Amino acid sequence: MSDKMVTIFVDGHATSVDPSRNLLEACAQAGVNVPTLCYLKDVSANASCGVCVVEVEGAKSLVRSCVGRVSEGMKIATSSPRVMRARKNAVELLLANHPTDCLVCARNGSCELQSMAETLGVRTVRFPRTRKPAEIDESTDGIVRDNDKCILCGRCVAVCSEVQTVSAIQLAGRGIRTHVATFMDRGLGTSPCVQCGQCSVVCPTGAITERDETEAVWKALAQSGRTTIVQTAPAIRASLGEALGMSPGSLVTGKMVAALRRLGFDRVFDTQFAADLTIMEEGNELIRRLTQGGILPMITSCSPGWINFIETFYPALLGHLSTCKSPQQMFGALAKSFYAEKAGLAPESISVASIMPCTAKKHEARRPEMRGALEYWRAKGEAKPGESYFDVDWALTTRELARMVKRAGLDIESLPEEDFDDPLGRSTGAATIFGTTGGVMEAALRTVYEVVTGKALPSLDFEVVRGLEGIKKAEVDLNGTIVRVAVAHTLKNARVILDEIAAGTSPYHFIEVMTCPGGCIGGGGQPVLIDLEKRLARNKALYAEDLRLGMRKSHENPSVQALYADFLGEPLGHLSHELLHTEYERREV
Amino acid sequence: MNAAKTSQGSEPDLGALRQAGQDRIKPRRPFVSVGMGTCGIGNGADAVYAALGAAAAEAGLDLAVRRVGCFGFCAAEPLVMAYRPGKPLLMFTEVKSSRASKLVAALADDAAFDKLAKTAVAKIEEWDFRTSSIEFGKGFNFLPSWNELSFFKGQEKIVLRDCGLIDPESLEEYLGAGGYSGLIKAITSMKPEVVIDEVKKSGLRGRGGAGFPTYKKWEIMRASGGASATPGGEGARKFVICNADEGDPGAYMNRNEIESDPHMLLEGMAIGAYAMGASEGVVYIRAEYPLAVERFQKALADARAVGLLGRNILGTRFSFDIEVVTGAGAFVCGEETALIASAEGKAGRPSPRPPFPAQRGLYGAPTNINNVETWCNVPVIIARGGEWFSGFGTKSSSGTKVFSLVGKVRNTGLVELPLGSTIESMVYGMGGGAGPRKRIKAVQSGGPSGGCVPARLFKTPIDYEELAKLGAIMGSGGMVVMDEDNCMVDVARYFVGFTAGESCGKCTPCREGLSQMLRILASVTRGEATEEDLEVLAELAETARDASLCGLGQTSANPILSTLKYFRDEYERHIKEKRCQAGVCESLYLTLCENSCPMHMNIPGYLQLLKENRLEEAFELTLRDNPLPGTVGRICHFHCRMRCKREQIDESVSQGEIHRYLADTMYKMGRERAVYARLIKEKLPETGKKVAIVGAGPAGLAAAFYLVRLGHDVTIYDAQDEAGGIPRWGIPAYRLPKDVLRKEVAFIRKLGVRFVFNTRIGKDIAWERLAEMHDAVLTCIGALKDMALGIPGEDLAGVVPGYHLLEALNSGEKPRLGAEVVVVGGGNSAIDAARSALRSGSRVTVVYRRAKSDMPANAEELEGALEEGVDLVCMAQPLEAVAGPEGRVRALKVMKMKAGPVDPSGRPSPVPTGESYEIPCESLVIAVGEKVDSSSLTAAGVTLERDGRVSVNPFDFRTANPRIFAAGDAVSGPATAAEAMGQAKLAASAMDKILMGSAEAGLGARFESLFREFAYAMEVPLETSSARMSRAKLVPVEDRRGNFVEISLGYTGEQARVEAERCLRCDVRERARRPFGLGEASRKADEDGSGKSGERRTARAAR
Repeated sequence: MSDKMVTIFVDGHATSVDPSRNLLEACAQAGVNVPTLCYLKDVSANASCGVCVVEVEGAKSLVRSCVGRVSEGMKIATSSPRVMRARKNAVELLLANHPTDCLVCARNGSCELQSMAETLGVRTVRFPRTRKPAEIDESTDGIVRDNDKCILCGRCVAVCSEVQTVSAIQLAGRGIRTHVATFMDRGLGTSPCVQCGQCSVVCPTGAITERDETEAVWKALAQSGRTTIVQTAPAIRASLGEALGMSPGSLVTGKMVAALRRLGFDRVFDTQFAADLTIMEEGNELIRRLTQGGILPMITSCSPGWINFIETFYPALLGHLSTCKSPQQMFGALAKSFYAEKAGLAPESISVASIMPCTAKKHEARRPEMRGALEYWRAKGEAKPGESYFDVDWALTTRELARMVKRAGLDIESLPEEDFDDPLGRSTGAATIFGTTGGVMEAALRTVYEVVTGKALPSLDFEVVRGLEGIKKAEVDLNGTIVRVAVAHTLKNARVILDEIAAGTSPYHFIEVMTCPGGCIGGGGQPVLIDLEKRLARNKALYAEDLRLGMRKSHENPSVQALYADFLGEPLGHLSHELLHTEYERREV
Repeated sequence: MNAAKTSQGSEPDLGALRQAGQDRIKPRRPFVSVGMGTCGIGNGADAVYAALGAAAAEAGLDLAVRRVGCFGFCAAEPLVMAYRPGKPLLMFTEVKSSRASKLVAALADDAAFDKLAKTAVAKIEEWDFRTSSIEFGKGFNFLPSWNELSFFKGQEKIVLRDCGLIDPESLEEYLGAGGYSGLIKAITSMKPEVVIDEVKKSGLRGRGGAGFPTYKKWEIMRASGGASATPGGEGARKFVICNADEGDPGAYMNRNEIESDPHMLLEGMAIGAYAMGASEGVVYIRAEYPLAVERFQKALADARAVGLLGRNILGTRFSFDIEVVTGAGAFVCGEETALIASAEGKAGRPSPRPPFPAQRGLYGAPTNINNVETWCNVPVIIARGGEWFSGFGTKSSSGTKVFSLVGKVRNTGLVELPLGSTIESMVYGMGGGAGPRKRIKAVQSGGPSGGCVPARLFKTPIDYEELAKLGAIMGSGGMVVMDEDNCMVDVARYFVGFTAGESCGKCTPCREGLSQMLRILASVTRGEATEEDLEVLAELAETARDASLCGLGQTSANPILSTLKYFRDEYERHIKEKRCQAGVCESLYLTLCENSCPMHMNIPGYLQLLKENRLEEAFELTLRDNPLPGTVGRICHFHCRMRCKREQIDESVSQGEIHRYLADTMYKMGRERAVYARLIKEKLPETGKKVAIVGAGPAGLAAAFYLVRLGHDVTIYDAQDEAGGIPRWGIPAYRLPKDVLRKEVAFIRKLGVRFVFNTRIGKDIAWERLAEMHDAVLTCIGALKDMALGIPGEDLAGVVPGYHLLEALNSGEKPRLGAEVVVVGGGNSAIDAARSALRSGSRVTVVYRRAKSDMPANAEELEGALEEGVDLVCMAQPLEAVAGPEGRVRALKVMKMKAGPVDPSGRPSPVPTGESYEIPCESLVIAVGEKVDSSSLTAAGVTLERDGRVSVNPFDFRTANPRIFAAGDAVSGPATAAEAMGQAKLAASAMDKILMGSAEAGLGARFESLFREFAYAMEVPLETSSARMSRAKLVPVEDRRGNFVEISLGYTGEQARVEAERCLRCDVRERARRPFGLGEASRKADEDGSGKSGERRTARAAR
């Protein structure tokens, strides 16, 4: 950053700008939003779409404002006929090879190409298609790729390789045959893809989307004799409103519950209940490892993209993972065992849908071992022969739920605030902050501190693990024992942490890893077009919810306490082991 | 400078190596050397090399057989040089292995060597290696020096200084030629800044094509990442890269530079690395160049072994080494950032700049990239000084550039010429043109990123700015010469296809734009495009240029933009006429003979009908295409034969003779009457439109033939008292008996055309008045005005213009010519005049200023004239018609000429020798060409070209006066009857559409109704006939004297059928255009069933 400002002339108007800025930002400062289809601040300046061109006096060709730099006295024309023609031609050319099924596209209304065509006044496409049709890649549970809709902006590739260091996709081929490809075009299913879905969040069109499961849910809701249970992840309450047109960071917990009831769910529960339960199990696991010897550092296991990542790239370090299932899966296992029993429902008559900020959750729900409830009933000898079900039937993303709400004609803003059902709807503020980076760590520390020290925490706010910094580190004094913790989000940062462990230089005891930037608030199933501001707003909303809820420590959740008393016994007990814990294995790609 | 001093004890003594090298370049014993680049080896140089070695061993002679690089003359490979101490080096071209023992034997003694010299192509007496020079020996004055050969004349070998003279695999020889003196000088006595300053003084610019000043690039790089005081020291990592990813189709100079002189590149890079403070070098070379890779690797190893590469080079603190990276041959990897990505093992895709490579390049380190040739210039610049270098070329573009000159020129190869030389000097001088029969149309400069420069701009000097101004680029130096057989739309399509395939696919304007541009170009070549498509094409091209991310995309549209600029007429012909004149776009012609025929006669059609013994239909087919079949069948240039594919087997089919045979046979049997009756019967109803045609020559008659059948009221006006134009008045009767012409004219009259003779429009009737009297006027005036030589004495008695003479003879006059007649000229009129004068009893000499082989007259006519006894004096330029005592010409004074450099006509220009002499004569016939006299038309508002031709819209033949049309010689200048008639056909169609208010595309349904489809077998002959071309029987030479009886008796029926069997039936294929007149309109009519089926359209071709 230079502190010396330079003066540039945007369409003749002098503006003073920071010289470290690119032309796109400089023009924005001057009040001109230069359109772009590929630029993604801090992630991708691929300069591929050719839409953000401007005319710079003295330059031979047009300049892409996303990579162009300002200099003193620079004269920029942002809407000269030459510029307008180049932009319009670029979009028209993209449209020539883009399907015209906008009306039935998942991104109808949120498609950047669509709105760009509108913005630039493209009213006809003079060119026919020149590209061969692409095959749809449906080889994963979480993500569907339709290269026909791809405009080769390169954002997905940049996110996958730069943010997540997974590099499951790359540009392959030349000329008009160029396409976003997995290794040998074999599909994401055989690639190292962790299904985090970040690509689907940045995709400007419908080329990468979550696998839509709403139809199955609609069907279950309409089916008589079936009990439909829904659980909502912490981050949803801070983003569903946004997905339905409210301002970013709108907190819609009660309205969300109301909406889910109106959609026809028989029970509206909260994944946060399971989050509190996770803290009980994971906290005790940490204490056990700290005190009785066990693999350290221990790393959280609630983020399924992260689980896929470590299984794929660092299988040797799997022992560091907490054996706890994620809250989604703990919930599912309990819903069809504990709750079914309690409510007198046949487990096979229950459908569990979860609303997740995440595409990897779809995959997690389909992991073969995620049939805890079935095993529970089998162990009891009460499972019907030939009966087979997963603990969680469908994991819908925020985007999918938003579509359902829209389709049902529900106006989220005018719905009343309603409460979750009991008992699996009761939670604490500690569970709420699971939805953002640092939240699981903070929630765990609130519980572990009190369990270990037997003292009440002086302050419940572990500021040091909050915020959107890539890797956060802290030390906590537990009765004279210094516990070193770290918090990482994005897999690029996770890699740093893992490399330290592999090298034997990791100083930590406990590490929280979340796959997506900002944690679940920036998840791959969240409303598209996330930027830093939106992440911050959602983050703020969750901490506000944490304060709003009376209880802020997981071990104080009375429903959780009751669960242990009535059903599980004690943390890390036998039934916990059966229902709430799991194992990991090396994933070969 | 003594290199040995700087080398360390254990290292080899460079001085000794250099001496050893010199002893190999100019040994004390004889040698033969063979040029062994990839080009030479491809032509068998390795076999020659082996044969020479074997012969030498067998002869037991003390001589060396040397392998050298390529001397650049690709068209003449394998190239061999032979040397005996004290004598000049001899050069031999196209040497075969069978010559090896003779060559070797001739090296045994001076006498044999002197004898051998007589068979050499050229000699080299001394050689300037630029970093040293060598004298082989003097002598052999009868032999041209190498640089007197047209291919080398004007070349200046700086980059190619050693190529072809040293062994590329010998470090000693490179040292012997003065190599590494630049590097030694730089690292032992020059500061890096001084080195850069020297490069600055030289004015060297990037030879990869963009022409960025090399020193600037070096300065930026030196300053980047902190220039360490000790180059190659422990400072930050810096790279120099050589871009040897030569990817332009038709360009291969970089390959040869590395293959023939790898140390030159190595030395240049080392000097650059020293100057810029880099210690690591990378040569990024395409894997398709295995020999270059191999030789460069060897050069690296050899240089390392003697301490010229590696740590502490020659004991200095400068360390530098080079790694070779082979690229898989992606065109885009020529782009700096893509090259770096590829060298790092990533996909070769360009990334946006900034950061520039000098800031963040290979592995994130500051990186400088220069092209092979740029590096190769550096050693000489340092050794000889920047000022010396800047003495070559122009002020802004100094030095030389190596071009690979390929395509339609006689001499192809690598030429190195000073920048600022003209394109013309390269194409016609070094390249030797395309020969007299083909017209060069353009050069494509700079490969797929370059543009096409039309021949009319060949005077342009070759430098960065001038080429860019024309829309081309210098590029890396590919120069592809194109002639009339190249379709410029197809050229654009080819290059855009290349770039579209090589586009990295990253950015929209390039990836998507090129694919759409390619689609449009392909549709133009199929005749499916519209004029709007051209607008879109231009727009996309401009967008790609404006908005692409890297150089590939920005320049990818150059082939389109330049051809649209200079050859738009070709695009328009593809779109409007659905014709590809060059005969390249295969859906736009039936066959190449049909395409070449100005009247687009369905030649395979009538050949097949003849084979099927359907003579009457065959004749009818020719007649519908050509109203004067008997006439044109005799006097045509037979454009059809020039592109006949049969020529690739033996010789062309004689389509025209068959055509004449059909007419003659029908006339003889009187069977033409049935055909005539059919045509008369099918005349369209009267339209009430009155059309005047001015000129009763072939064009006027042809237009009348079609217009009257369309139902118009047609009157032909002619200044003469009989119809026929030049065939009637200008062609001697021994070529065209006038009764054939009269018969064919009579039929046109029978169709209802009125003739008004002895009336000169513009004099007897004003053009405007004529236009008022008619709905449309078509002027078909011929090119009848004889051109003068412009020499003294042309006004003397006895000096006769050629056409005048022929006209007089054809009018039955018997001009007094005298015993000796001189005819000046080399065209058909000159030969006609000469043979006519001979028949009138004179002795005739034809005087021509160029060589016999360059005469434009039909070869058969010329041979006939010589057989009959006409004398031919070539290489003689008329100076003066010398007056005799009575004021009558008595002699022609001529200058003896010699062949100079090839001129834009493709022929050697005649150059005066200074020696003149007189050729006595009583009459002097000047037959050097005719022109159009159309001056009277201007009064009617018609605009003219500068040479008197009438300006028309090329697609509807309308002049500036909307009522007046023009076709034939009046529009195109003197041309053949067939060409005139071809235009007249199209003009008739266009006039009909205008008169009838039709906006149809193409010929129009009314016009197409004048043609008919003949069903005949669509089969390629199972066995190709092995017969050679049949020759018609001729009247014996001795029987031709004193009469004008037709010489050629024409084919017999047997001959005609044998000849027809020779046709390969190129029309039997997918996507062939339909025969003339059976185009879109008739196809549509057939498809929707609304066509007038029945009588006139009997059957559809069995396709």
